[in-house]
Amino acid sequence: MSLPSLVPLIGIADVVIGLSLGSRLFLIAVGLSLIFGVLGVLNFAHGGFYMLGAYVTLAVVTSVVDNFWLAAVAGALAVGVVGAVIEFAAIRRLYDRVDADLDQLIVTFGFVLVIHETVRFVWGSGSYSIDPPDVFNFSVSLGGSTFNAYRLVVIGLAVAVLVSLWLFITRTYFGSLVRGTSSDREMASMLGVDVPRLYTGVFFLGSVLAGLGGALSAPLQSTSPALGDQVIIDAFIVVVIGGLGSMSGAFVGAMLIGMMQSLGPQFISAGSIAIPFLAMVIVLLFRPEGLFGGIGE
Amino acid sequence: MVSSDSDVGNKSNRTGDVETNSETRSSVDRRRFLQAAGAGATVALAGCSGGGGDSGPVTLGATYILSGFASLYGEEAERGIEFAQSEINDNGGIDGRDVEVIVRDTEASADTAIQQIRSLVQEDDVDGLFGLDSSGVAQAVAPQVAQLQMPFMITHAATPFVTSPEGEHEDSVGNEYVFRDSNSLAQDIYGAARTAEELDATEWATIGPDYAFGYETWDYFQAYCDGLGVEAEFTAEQFPALATSDYTPFISSILDADPDAVLTPLWGADLTTFIGQAEDAGWFDQIDHTLFSVGMGTDYPSEGSPLPEGEYASTRYDPFVPDTETNNSFREAYYEEYESLPTYNAEGAYRALHLYKQAIESAGSTEADALVEEFTGMEHSGPVGDYELSETNQATVASVWGTVTYDEEWESNVLDPVDRYDAGPDVLSEALGDSDLPTGI
Repeated sequence: MSLPSLVPLIGIADVVIGLSLGSRLFLIAVGLSLIFGVLGVLNFAHGGFYMLGAYVTLAVVTSVVDNFWLAAVAGALAVGVVGAVIEFAAIRRLYDRVDADLDQLIVTFGFVLVIHETVRFVWGSGSYSIDPPDVFNFSVSLGGSTFNAYRLVVIGLAVAVLVSLWLFITRTYFGSLVRGTSSDREMASMLGVDVPRLYTGVFFLGSVLAGLGGALSAPLQSTSPALGDQVIIDAFIVVVIGGLGSMSGAFVGAMLIGMMQSLGPQFISAGSIAIPFLAMVIVLLFRPEGLFGGIGE
Repeated sequence: MVSSDSDVGNKSNRTGDVETNSETRSSVDRRRFLQAAGAGATVALAGCSGGGGDSGPVTLGATYILSGFASLYGEEAERGIEFAQSEINDNGGIDGRDVEVIVRDTEASADTAIQQIRSLVQEDDVDGLFGLDSSGVAQAVAPQVAQLQMPFMITHAATPFVTSPEGEHEDSVGNEYVFRDSNSLAQDIYGAARTAEELDATEWATIGPDYAFGYETWDYFQAYCDGLGVEAEFTAEQFPALATSDYTPFISSILDADPDAVLTPLWGADLTTFIGQAEDAGWFDQIDHTLFSVGMGTDYPSEGSPLPEGEYASTRYDPFVPDTETNNSFREAYYEEYESLPTYNAEGAYRALHLYKQAIESAGSTEADALVEEFTGMEHSGPVGDYELSETNQATVASVWGTVTYDEEWESNVLDPVDRYDAGPDVLSEALGDSDLPTGI
């Protein structure tokens, strides 16, 4: 580790890169937060879902249809189906156990390994990358720094997802069921809500978001079996900082971590990876419920 | 990447288990007994294994990265092994015996490499070992090899500290059983500094992997520039973790510092990822010169990342230089077989088999100590040229740097023009000047 640069130069590209890193973190963290907020399940396999989204997108765009957007939708939906099947086949059986939290943790961790090894079996252990869609694959030069225009698309889509989710949760009938069930599952059940189906639906939605995050990130990173492990840790930091169960918290937390990841190397040449952890420790010490602690906000 | 520190931790744990199981006895006596018994068993195994036998095939054990971010290196080494194996076996074998090679995956992990090496020696009774792609892994493996009393010919991992005798520097782990037939980081980076001498660049930066190899590359480069009197300022450095999927924050940080030139020891899929993302960020328009110290290990095979033309790269072996009959015929035959030029990892592995052949035939035995004696100070000639294994068991091969140029005939990037710098002990020692870094040769 070297001495920190005393006068770091922060360019517009650093900010755009930070926000795009934050955007992809938001897409994975908001699903993680939603599932925890409603189902009370801390889904360790969420990083695997993100990775799977990237792989399916890569596979579709290279071997099925040469259209990134269709491939991204296919990636997100495929991961949603995988998530729903996992919830239906395994996690659902654990809700009423005495040590449900521990059992859920172990089962979802088991799926981390299953997804990881499946990906290795199907696609090998090497890494893959694809170009951004042609229409956005050009460099933007602003203030002496350069970034790929596709990053702006990812940022825009993350904001669109935030707004859509907020409208969905606050303005739709299904959203009111989700909010009601997350507040009091038994009461919702007594009022006729089909809680198991609702849970599967929420798990599907959370998984789709993770898959979408992986799909949209595929052109910005190399995709390898290590991807899921890397991103799940960052996603946990995001939801701890933002507040478990809070959508706006996930957004703000993700953008904060994204900016730390982007600007960290300006201040410290090695070990900048530790800065988000430090931020998490500070939040846990002084505001343990997170910056936006609460459910369904 | 698992560092040697973690291995120390693991060893302590294993010792701890033994002590826990022997509460009623003197744990020290028990431990000594087990150590002695273990060492005795190891020696007995080595003695009654292929080492003492003179019939049946000669069996060698190889460890490379065959999965993950740097699997391409292992695949290339496997080609070199296969090529040498058929060449040797089709021409009378080693003293009339066929050679067999058991190749194992280290997964770029020191723990895995150590398990594989122990298994190769203790279960597969190999006559000798070679391989290794990662400096961090090599540093952890070297002391284990001494414990197993089995010669190990490193063919790729470049840290100078494995051929720097233990005690010379705090990180030195060299010992009589560890040899290297390829050039070390100390030799390679000497060539980088000589290249820097010729460039119109004053401000230098680096982006390298966040483990020993990345830091050592930068330390040696600065020391050589200082020792050779290169007018250079070192203005920025970034060390992202291995297998980083997104280098853009680090790239952006280097671009903000706006150096004239950058030396990068990124390798494997990390290099592929870096080059793609650096191109997107306008790196090669803004930075005048980029020096890739591990670039040509992945450039020939189609799956690798072609380095941008006009930039500089080094190689531990060049398929066109030296222009000798041995090198030319190796290149032609290899190309005919695999339709790509031989990378340095293929050549290093290829040569390891020939080094074992020479040592076994000269000793008339496959006994480990006899092989160690033969390797010590051995003179050898291969595609890489003529060289000897130095006092510290390091091959006195040249440092090779050149300009990346696409060659129509071979449909591949090559180094042209290319320079070979003599990188023997005296040259390196003088170039390191007042630095306390070891030459490793």
